[in-house]
Order: sequence, then C-alpha cells, then structure tokens
Amino acid sequence: MKEEKKQKKKEPKPATRSVSPPLAFLVHLVCGFGLVAPLSVTHNLFSLTLISDSSSTLRLIWVVETVVMILVYSSFRQNPEQCSYPRAVGRGILALPVVIAGCRPTSIMMYEVIGMQYLAKTINWSLFMSSLMFVPAASVFGSSWTDWQRMFAHTKPNGALEYMICIPAHGAVIGGWLGAWPMPLDWERPWQEWPICVTYGAIMGYLVSTIASLGFVVAHPRRHRLKGD
Amino acid sequence: MGLTCHKLTLLTLGALTIQILGLSLFVLGFFPVKPALSGVSGPESFQAPGCDSFENSSDSVSQDLPPHRLKSLYQELSGIPPLFDRLILMVIDGLPAEFVLGKDGQPPRKDLMEAMPYTQSLLSKGNAIGYHAKAAPPTVTMPRLKAMVSGAIGGFLDVAFNFNTQALLDDNLLGQLFRIGWKMVMLGDETWLKLFPGLFMRHDGVSSFYVGSPLAFDVKDTVQVDQNVSRHLDEELSRDDWNLLILHYLGLDHVGHIGGRNSFLMIPKLMEMDEVVKTIHLNALQSQENGRQTLLVVVSDHGMTENGNHGGSSYEETDSLALFIGLKNGMSNYASTAHYSVNQVDIAPTLALLLGVPVPKNNVGVVISKTFGSLKDEKWLRVLELNAWQLLRLVQAQLPGLSCGSFPCDGSTIDLGSRSEECNGSPEKVLCCLYRNAALLHSAWKSIKVSRSTSGNDYSNTVAAYYQFMETASEWLSRRVTDVCISFSTSIDFTIGNDYFALQKPVGLLAFGVVAMVLSCLVLLGLLNCISGEVCPGRWCLDDAFILGTVMILVMSMGSSSMVEEEQYIWHFFLSTSYLLLLRRTVQSLPAGSVLSSFKLFKRQKERSDFRVLSIFLLLIAGRILRGWHQGGVNWTHLPDISKWLEQAGNDTVRSIQVASGILVICLGLFALVLFGSRRNIIQMVGFCLLNCGLLVLWHIVEYQGNAIASSSSGATLLAQRIYVILGITSGGIVLALPWFITDGMKSSNSRRVDSQNNFVLLPFRDSSYVIGLAYVLCWCLLQLLLQQPINSVPIFLLLIQILAILLLFSSCGLQFKEWVEVALLYYMGMAGHFALGNSNTLATVDVAGAFIGLSSHSTLLSGILMFIITYASPMLFLLSMVMYVSVKSTAYLAAEKNADSGHLLKVMLGLPCLVPLGLNSILLTAYTIVLLLMRNHLFVWSVFSPKYLYVCAASVCTYIGVLAVAATEVYAYFILVLRRKISVSVSNGVG
Repeated sequence: MKEEKKQKKKEPKPATRSVSPPLAFLVHLVCGFGLVAPLSVTHNLFSLTLISDSSSTLRLIWVVETVVMILVYSSFRQNPEQCSYPRAVGRGILALPVVIAGCRPTSIMMYEVIGMQYLAKTINWSLFMSSLMFVPAASVFGSSWTDWQRMFAHTKPNGALEYMICIPAHGAVIGGWLGAWPMPLDWERPWQEWPICVTYGAIMGYLVSTIASLGFVVAHPRRHRLKGD
Repeated sequence: MGLTCHKLTLLTLGALTIQILGLSLFVLGFFPVKPALSGVSGPESFQAPGCDSFENSSDSVSQDLPPHRLKSLYQELSGIPPLFDRLILMVIDGLPAEFVLGKDGQPPRKDLMEAMPYTQSLLSKGNAIGYHAKAAPPTVTMPRLKAMVSGAIGGFLDVAFNFNTQALLDDNLLGQLFRIGWKMVMLGDETWLKLFPGLFMRHDGVSSFYVGSPLAFDVKDTVQVDQNVSRHLDEELSRDDWNLLILHYLGLDHVGHIGGRNSFLMIPKLMEMDEVVKTIHLNALQSQENGRQTLLVVVSDHGMTENGNHGGSSYEETDSLALFIGLKNGMSNYASTAHYSVNQVDIAPTLALLLGVPVPKNNVGVVISKTFGSLKDEKWLRVLELNAWQLLRLVQAQLPGLSCGSFPCDGSTIDLGSRSEECNGSPEKVLCCLYRNAALLHSAWKSIKVSRSTSGNDYSNTVAAYYQFMETASEWLSRRVTDVCISFSTSIDFTIGNDYFALQKPVGLLAFGVVAMVLSCLVLLGLLNCISGEVCPGRWCLDDAFILGTVMILVMSMGSSSMVEEEQYIWHFFLSTSYLLLLRRTVQSLPAGSVLSSFKLFKRQKERSDFRVLSIFLLLIAGRILRGWHQGGVNWTHLPDISKWLEQAGNDTVRSIQVASGILVICLGLFALVLFGSRRNIIQMVGFCLLNCGLLVLWHIVEYQGNAIASSSSGATLLAQRIYVILGITSGGIVLALPWFITDGMKSSNSRRVDSQNNFVLLPFRDSSYVIGLAYVLCWCLLQLLLQQPINSVPIFLLLIQILAILLLFSSCGLQFKEWVEVALLYYMGMAGHFALGNSNTLATVDVAGAFIGLSSHSTLLSGILMFIITYASPMLFLLSMVMYVSVKSTAYLAAEKNADSGHLLKVMLGLPCLVPLGLNSILLTAYTIVLLLMRNHLFVWSVFSPKYLYVCAASVCTYIGVLAVAATEVYAYFILVLRRKISVSVSNGVG
C-alpha cells in the first residue's frame, strides 16, 4: 500500500480504462446476475430463502457477489500498468475485512437489536453490503483516499467507470435505508425481521441504481475524456 | 432586508396566540366533556319517561324526605323488595378476571386455582357467580371506580384528572345509598375518600403512592398496604352499625407493578385475598342467621398486562372481575358457566336494583341477568323496565325531542296487540323502535297474565326485547361518550333540523381550531423561510433535504397506528442517519490525503477536524447507548434492553451507577465551564454554585433514594424541596447577575478585536450566554437526576455529552451547515432523547411516582408540573441548550456584522434558534390535529391516537416554554450589556 501511495504521488492523475455503454451494460448484467442468481439457486436447490435462514443465504450471496465483483472490476483497475490484475484482486479481497470494520458498527448504529443471536446475521449482512458498495471501489481505486473521498463523501463521480461504481453503491445504501421502514410495523410478517427487509431493500436499490447508472454512462460518455484532456 | 426585529417578534407572538387559541378550541371540541345529566335519580325514575308526577318536584321530594321515608317510598314505587340490606364491596386493585375465572371457557391455571381454594369452591358450588367485567379504557383506578359506582363511562380526559381525585358530583350508587340512610365504612385506597368526601362513617385510607417510586416498591410494601386494610376487618365485621363496607386492596396491583403477572409474590397475594373472602363470607353466613342479608361483591378495577402495567385497552388490561357472592338463587346449575362477560358499568345498575335504590342518572350499564335469579317473572320484568326507563331518559337527554310514542303512566295495559316491528334506520329510530317493542311486549304480557294465560314464551320474548333495547342503547350511549364521530355526524344532521344551535358547537369549534392552527403554522413557516433566506443563504443540499424529509416522513407516519406506537424507532433511525450525514460532511472537509494519514488525524491535536470526527463518534456511540437503554414502544417492550438488564443486576448496581453518573454530570459540566475560562472570579463563583447544587443532589441520591422507607421520610422531602429552591435561585441568579459582571478580564484576552462598537457588546454577550446556557443545562440535568427513575441517570449523562459534543461540532466553522439545519437537528435530538428516557406514546409510561418527590401534601398543580418536567426532560434540555448554541454561533457574527443595530443583530442571532423549534412543532401539531380528525372513526382512536395527541399538545407547551425562556434570557442579557456599555461610555465621557 505504501508503494502505491508513492506511485500516486508521482502520477496524480492516473489513467483509467474508459468504459463504453455496451461494456457497462455487460458489467452490470454480470454483477446483477451475481446478485440474483444465488437467491434463486438457494431457493430452488436448497429451498433456502432469506426468511427461513437469512444468515446462510446472505453468506452465499455475498461470497458469490464478492467473487463476481472482484473479478469484473479488477479488470478496470486504476493505472493498470503499475498494478497487475492479481494485485487488484488481492486488493479487493483485502478490502472486505477492512470495510466490514466500518459496516458492522454502522449497522449496529442504524438497525440492530444488540444480542448474540443477531451476530452472525449482522456480520453476513455487513459483508453483503460491503460486497455491493465497497468491493468494486477497492478493486478499482485501492487505497487512494482522494478517490474514496470524492466518490463517497462528495458523491462526485467522474467518468463512466466511476458512475458505475458510485451510483449502485449509493443506491444500495438508500435501498437498505428505505428497506428498514417496515421493520417496526406490526404486520407480523416473517420478512419484517432484521436483516431480511433491509437486504431486500438493498438489492432492489442496487438493481434500480445500476439501471440509473447505465443511463448516466450513456448520457455522459465523454466527460471523463474531456477532463482527461 | 425585509422584516425588522419588532415586526418579527410581533408576528411570531401573534401566530403563537392563534395557535394556542386554535389548539384549545380543538381540544374542547374533540375531547367531549362527558355529557352528564346533573341531578340525581329520585322517585321519578320508577315511572315511565314522560310521566311527570314527580319530575318537577323530584329534588324537593328526595331532599325533604327523611332517609327511612325515602327508602320505603322507593320500595313502594318500585314494587320490588330490596334483596339485601348490607353490601360488602371488596375491590382488589388490578386483579385480572382470568386469575379467578379462566379464559375462553378454560379454568385458570392450576396454581392460581389452588391459590384461591375458597373462592373456587364457592364458584363451583354455585354460591358465587363470576363475570369478566370488561373495563373501558383508560384502565386506571379512579375512572374505573367512577364507572363502577355511577355506571357512566368517563370521557377521555378523565385520565388526565386521575390524580386529581376530586369529589364525584354526578349521581352514583353511594350517594343513592347514603340518601336512604345507609351507613358506610371504607378501608383501603384513599381514592374513595377523595371521590366521596364525608360519606363514610369510619375510614382508614391507604395512599396508593404509599412509597416513593415504583422501583422502590418492595416485598414488605405489598404486604403492608393490605395489612393496613385488613387490620380493621374483624372489628368491622363484628359490628352491626354499617350497611356498606368497602375494602380496597392495593397490594395485588403493586405486586404486578414489581414483578408482572407471574411474580413470585402473586400466589401468596391471591391466597391472602382468598382468606379475606373466606372470612367475610363466613361472617355473612353468620349474620344471615341474624336476619341481615349481606351481599359480597368482589370486583377489580382493571386487569394488568404480562408486565403488570395497565392503562391501555388490551384484553389483559380490561379484563376485570365482578364476583357476586351470596345471591339467593341457589343456582348450582350455573357452576359450569361462570364465564359470562359483561361490562364493568353493568355493576352499577345491578347493585342499585338489588339494593332497592334508583339507577344512577348517567348509567349506561345494563342490569346483569343472572344476579336476580330468585325474583319472580313479574318482578324481574319490572327490574328490566326500570333500567330501560333510565336508559331511555339518558337517550332522550342526548337527543332532545326524541319521543317514542306515549305510554300511559298508570301502568295500565295498552291494547295494541303484541306485534313487534323490524327496527332499522337511523340510530334514534332504532332505539325508539326497540324500546316500543319491549314496552308493548311487556304490557301485552301483563294483560295476558291478568287473563291468567301465562306462557313462558311471551315472557322470554319480553326479556329478550328489553335486553335488545338496553344493549343497543348502552352501546350507543357509551360510543357517544367516547366517540366523536357520532356527535360529529349527528351535529351535521342537526344543522338541517331545528336544533341547529344546540349541536353545531363541535363542528364550529373543530373547524375553527384547525383553521387557526393551519394559519399560524403557515405564518411561522413564512417567517422561517424569510429569516433563513436572510441568515443563511445558499443553495439546497442533501442535509436540508434530509431534515425536511424527516418532517415529511414523520407527518406521514403519524397516520399509521403502529408507527405512532413505535415512534421511537423513527427518531432514532433519523438521528443515526443524520449523524452519518454529519460524518460524511466532515469527511468531505477533511484534507485530501491517503486513508492512513486520515487515521493519523486522531492523534494530531493541532487539526480542527480531529475533534470534529471525535465528537461525531461520541454522538454516535452515545446515541446508540441511549437507543438501547429502553426498548420503548408498545409491541416490543418485552425485548431485552440495558435498563432491564441493569435492574436484574440489582438495586445496588443501579444506585452505584446513579451516583457515578451524577458525579460524571457534575464533572463534565464543570469541565465545560473551566474550559471556557477558569481564572475569572465570576466563573469561579458560577462553578462553585453549580458544584454546590450537584453535591446536594448527590447527597439526596446517596442518602435517600433506593430505599422505600427513607425516600418517603420527611427528611428526604425537605431536602428535595431545598434542592428545588437552590436550583431555582442558582439558575435565576446566574441569569440575572451574570450580564452585569461578565466583562472583567475580557478586554485583555480579546483586545485585538476591540475595534467595533458591537464587539464591546457581542463578546461579553457570547461569554455570558455561554455561561448562562451551561448553567441552565446543568441545573436541568441535576434536577432530572433528582426526579427521574434511578435507571435514567445514565441517559441524562449521555444527553449532556451529546449536547456538548454537537455544540463542539457546530462551533467549528469548517462544516458549512445552514443554521436552521443545526437547530432542527438539536430539536430532533431532544425528541429522540425523549424516547430514550423510556417515554412512549401511551400514557402508561408517564412516571407518576417521581411527581411526588419533595411534595409534602397532595397538590395536583405541583405534581402535574413535576410530571411534566420528568416527561419532557430531554426536549426541554435541548431547547435550553439553544442558549449555548446562540453563544457558539455569535462568534460568526463578530466578524460579519460590524456595525449593525441591535434589532438586526438580535434577529440574526435569535431568529432561527427560536423560530425553527416553533415551526417544526407547529407543523407536527397541525399535521397531527388533522390526522386525529381523519382518524376519528379509527378503531384505535382512543387507545393510540388520542394519547399521542395529548403528548403532542404537551410537547407544544414544552416548546413554547423553552423558546420563551431562551428568547427572554438572550434579550435580557443583550440589553443589560448594551446598557452597561452606554453607562461606561457616558462615565468615560464625563471623566474626559
């Protein structure tokens, strides 16, 4: 990581691979598939759903989704000439434990009832959320603070690739946030349990915002290049 | 620049006046004052409505006659001999009928059965008959007692006066019995004495707040309160000079409050009650041999939830007991069917008719059929007739002009054939028609009986018709009392008819109230818009939208009853989200660099951003703990939370935590003061005063709290009173004196800025309002440490941390929040804290026990104020912290506003901190008023929406008081400083 920092200082504006709309569509298709496929597979093969066993279903989802995300987004890594593909993959994997340190307290703050029975669910949910939000960013940007700050604090994505990372991540957060609303209602439905409806909300938010991000990619295809010039 | 300061103040005050006016009109219109008939039932109640031989002179007749004459008059008129001449009414506070009668046809649990062997044997032998008497909410003692003796269902606002136990002036059973010369004795809850002052020949009252706080209820206490009742029982039973003996046992309710339904104390308590029943019953049997007919009625005023609480309208709470022991109907065949369900109000007419007095005038109950088993058919129909007449009178009083045809007054039969009609149409028509049917059948039955061709069928038809009428009337009347929609719709109907003036009042009041509130809300929002445009221009960003979205979602969530019940989730969720947004904002303003360097920021003390990040983390952690402290709400109260966990750990743990957080509060407050400037004499003085108060509060905690006997001792009361006085003097003295003495030492430290005239005023203004605000906040916290339940002392400390952390955050210039966003955030934090202190939107969570700390005598006003202080601890705390907030922000104006006049300065500094809470509150109030109006037909309107509305109203009062305090303090401080400046200038001019 230190090496990277030095490299960053040498070259403050690293070149990123440009992403054309069809490619973006393909990427999103693969990622969306990685998200939806485990759900249907568990449902059909093991007759597991989020409601019956949220913990293991979530685990399956985040494992598959992380693998897909890392493999896909590592090919869009920043300054590819200094950072090899396996290295980007490693970066993405490394991001998981780091990011979970941020996700889990957040989930405790926001939703969770403190209790040991929720521990496994919360950890799996945190991993799931970080696989949607932070793994692509980690694969692409590594530990570049400026990029992270720009993406997640200022929400000023720049160029097609960053739209593709930033908007779905925010969509997942907002979806999860909205998904928490039915939890206190007294409908007595099984899906009102933590973290089921939040997960559904996040998935929905993610899927909707991938479509939105495609729109952005189509609308602003050239912005990055203009800035680069 | 738009508004001047004067105009702004006037407009705001005007809007507030309109709002208060509208609110009071709406409350008056919406919560109907119980439509009670004045006067008492007299001899006229034994004649059909409309037969006026006594009607006009009823008062004089019943007043002039001596008791025994009146008694015989009643007997003669009614034609039913009184079945009993002695009544023992045993009230077991909080006993769910389920414990005695079981539920859904099932017998009660085995251990409960075994706990009450005598009562169960009475039931199984048919010597007793038990009912599930459904109590109307609110299930708290006084309204329920009133319902039992008067048969009337109180209005919703009765609960507000539950602790204001005043004499029951309406017609009631006890008054009727007193009038026919019964001698009464009362042992137990003092409430009876307050309801019926001077009625009892002998009494021995026990206060239901025998001990200081519910947490301090101990095992000894639950035994003690009942021993105080039972100690005179044998003596009274051996005497022969009374007719009515009331025993009110509080112990079972206390057991429930301590340990819930399944408390280990419950079985012994039930056994004790069973012993009492046995003693009384054996004695009654004995006295029966001496020719005294004694009826023992065991009732409970309400049930309890699993946790032992009550107040709401769940089955567990409303399931109260009515057990009649000693009825002479030899009904061994009823043994298996002792699971009837009646209403609690039915007890009143039943007892009245059993004892031979007129049914109380406002009774909506229906006589319980099985209790008159020994009466002949003819007499029984007469009983029904009397009750039906009384109900018809009440209906007629509600619907003036209702006439159900005329019936001969002399009781002669009318020959209309015994045809009965189908009844449908408007409620009035249905009631009339049902009554006519019953009366016709009755008279037909009489005529047939005269011709000696009695058939059982006619008789049962008549009884059924009477019951049909009475039940419909009863339901209609009780709905009418508790339900606005009926009065609403009928009043609209009547606007067409003749009674326009009599009944249009509610609609007019409601409409005017709502319009006034909407108007004032719009005015306030307009002012807010105006001021915020002036003070903090800039384009919209995420935080603004979020704050507004919060209000929107809150308003929308108010329409759902479960969201109202679980409102604390919304506040906590919003608050943690807004802390995360704050964090995001802070990260935005962090210097660019790598992740590692940003982590290093925590260590470097030079940076300003590090304490920002730190304070946000403090906010988040404190918020999380606050949220976990009380589970809150209604549906998930049983889930584990920190307070339950600590209470399980024992009393000593709680007390040591209380002492620790008391010390921490004092330390933190003094630290904040020292941080400001310790060298100045005035600050040292203030610090000393605050320390003094804090130590007094600590002394009270260590010495008196957590100990049932000590906490109600006179020493504790005296110390608490002293603390009130000293806290009042300290905060008042600091406010009044500080602006006069603050400047010393100021010029030297800030000499570089002494260039503009305003700074002469602004700098000391900033300092003085900081110190005053801190004094306010600390005094309030200390007061809360004294008043709140011991378990809530840590949340008080955490709230103080939150206030200091967020002010620290706002004091840094790097975060470019708009000012109104910051003030709104403070307001939200206050609301979230309100729920973190264990409050909810049901009335059951109001801490009543704390409201008697330091009061030596029962004073409704003072205990009401204390209750308000306890309940609105957190919103008020955050409103008071606005004084500090103004000080924190006024630094920003030092540079910006060099030569503005005082009016403009005050407007800029005070406008938003005062207007934003008022505006937010008015939005919530207005929206909720409209929601309540829309929900008037909702099933939960009285159990969920109306209590919430009371909370909203109280929150409005809290906001008014808080904002008034803030504005008054700041304006006073500012003008004193200006005055001092003028004096010093003129002095220096004079010298020069």
